[in-house]
Amino acid sequence: MVKITENIRAEVTGIIYNFFADECEVDLPTINDNTNIIKDLDGDSLMFLELIEIFKKKYNLDIELKTIGKYAVKHPVQTIGELIEMQMRIIEFENKLLETDK
Amino acid sequence: MSGKVVVTGMNIISSLGLDLKSNWDNLTEGRSGVRKIRLFDASDNITQIAAEVPPEFEEYSRQYIKKRAGSQMTRITRICFTCAREAIAQSGLNFENVDKTRCAVILGVVNTGNSSSEKDTTLQNSIFKNMTNAMSAWISMEYQLMGPNFVVNTACASSAYAIGLGYDMIKYGQADIVIVGGADSIINREEIAGFNALYALSVQNDPPWKASKPFSKDRDGFVIGEGAGILILESEESARKRNAMIYAEMAGYAISSEGYNIMAPMKDGEGMAYTMEKALKNAGVSTGEVDYINAHGTSTELNDRYETMAIKKVFGKRAYQIPVSSSKSMIGHTIGAAGAIESIITILSINNSILTPTINLDHPDPDLDLDYVPNKSRKKDIRTAISNSFGFGGHNATLIFKKYPNFAQ
Repeated sequence: MVKITENIRAEVTGIIYNFFADECEVDLPTINDNTNIIKDLDGDSLMFLELIEIFKKKYNLDIELKTIGKYAVKHPVQTIGELIEMQMRIIEFENKLLETDK
Repeated sequence: MSGKVVVTGMNIISSLGLDLKSNWDNLTEGRSGVRKIRLFDASDNITQIAAEVPPEFEEYSRQYIKKRAGSQMTRITRICFTCAREAIAQSGLNFENVDKTRCAVILGVVNTGNSSSEKDTTLQNSIFKNMTNAMSAWISMEYQLMGPNFVVNTACASSAYAIGLGYDMIKYGQADIVIVGGADSIINREEIAGFNALYALSVQNDPPWKASKPFSKDRDGFVIGEGAGILILESEESARKRNAMIYAEMAGYAISSEGYNIMAPMKDGEGMAYTMEKALKNAGVSTGEVDYINAHGTSTELNDRYETMAIKKVFGKRAYQIPVSSSKSMIGHTIGAAGAIESIITILSINNSILTPTINLDHPDPDLDLDYVPNKSRKKDIRTAISNSFGFGGHNATLIFKKYPNFAQ
């Protein structure tokens, strides 16, 4: 369990923005929280998995992919902003992520 | 069976260039693409030479491949994809104007090149890089084609098989347009060592450009090449409907198995002869009509001997009047891509009335006495030509191309 601070939120946001700018070859300023990952950036689902790996290593997270998968089915992500929120919850709750739905 | 199958686009990437024109210019000049290996340190390998695609390819390919997709492809998949993009552009095809469910992709792929020479392989991209179907899939995805896309592996005859299968799909009315061809690179430490263990590769490292010498008495094995060749096969009806440039007619083909040996060809070229005879019959072409043979011509002892015997068996005395040349003398053996690259060279020969040479033929093997177009290209009117491909495992293919009457450059 990681206590979410403003610094962590800024760090996660920065990583996600830069990741999509780099991978999708778009200028960073063109990305905002409302940017649609598939429609606007031509992104793919594998990017989501790659970001999870980045954050698992960075914050030493204890969470199984199937837990994230179950959560994602109930909370589908389409925009950058939604993705940031999901990553924040993954970092905060790790394997207890599904319990936050109860 | 419907009408004719024609070729409306084509492209080559090889050691002799990144586009069709530079390849053709270098081939007709009789230049060799064989050099010391640069893709890895080959100083511990017995064979230290190969015909590599120029390093400028990576910069060149960026106009065709997005960074993310490129990171999920091996280098040879990027070469294949880039080659296909340019072949399609050259064909003038706009897939928005055709029925995409009737557009297919069939490629000859032996492996994807995800070897020790491959860079930047990670857990996230290793599966994509290893998928042997990746090359056809990427092309299909790029244009949202909805006809079949698949690959065929018959070793050194793979892309010739792909072309044959594409021909059938159009001939039997299952597709209007089929992107066919292949790509290959086995320039890596392990496979060179493996082929050295089989005594299949030339070990004449110095100078590299003299090593591939098909039909010479001092030939000592093939030289590995790499690259891609892509053709757009199309029904004549579809091509005419969109006023496409038609480069050649594909008149027919044959594929067969020797059922004999995992490496060696059947003695005296019996299987090769059978394949050529069957292809001529399939195309309705007589032996008297064939003006040129683009040989498999690997520069190995057995292939060159048996292919010569096979040509004599099929064409009789006329074999001595038919020019036979080996593109592998210049671009090495591009394995899975060879059938496609050499088919394109055959078509370019027809359209330009120029025979590309067999270079390094300074000391002819006295037992091999056909006209191998030694060392220099030659003008010749060609109306019908055949391209041979023979693979380890006894996979044989012969493709037949004809001049298209209205072709004008």
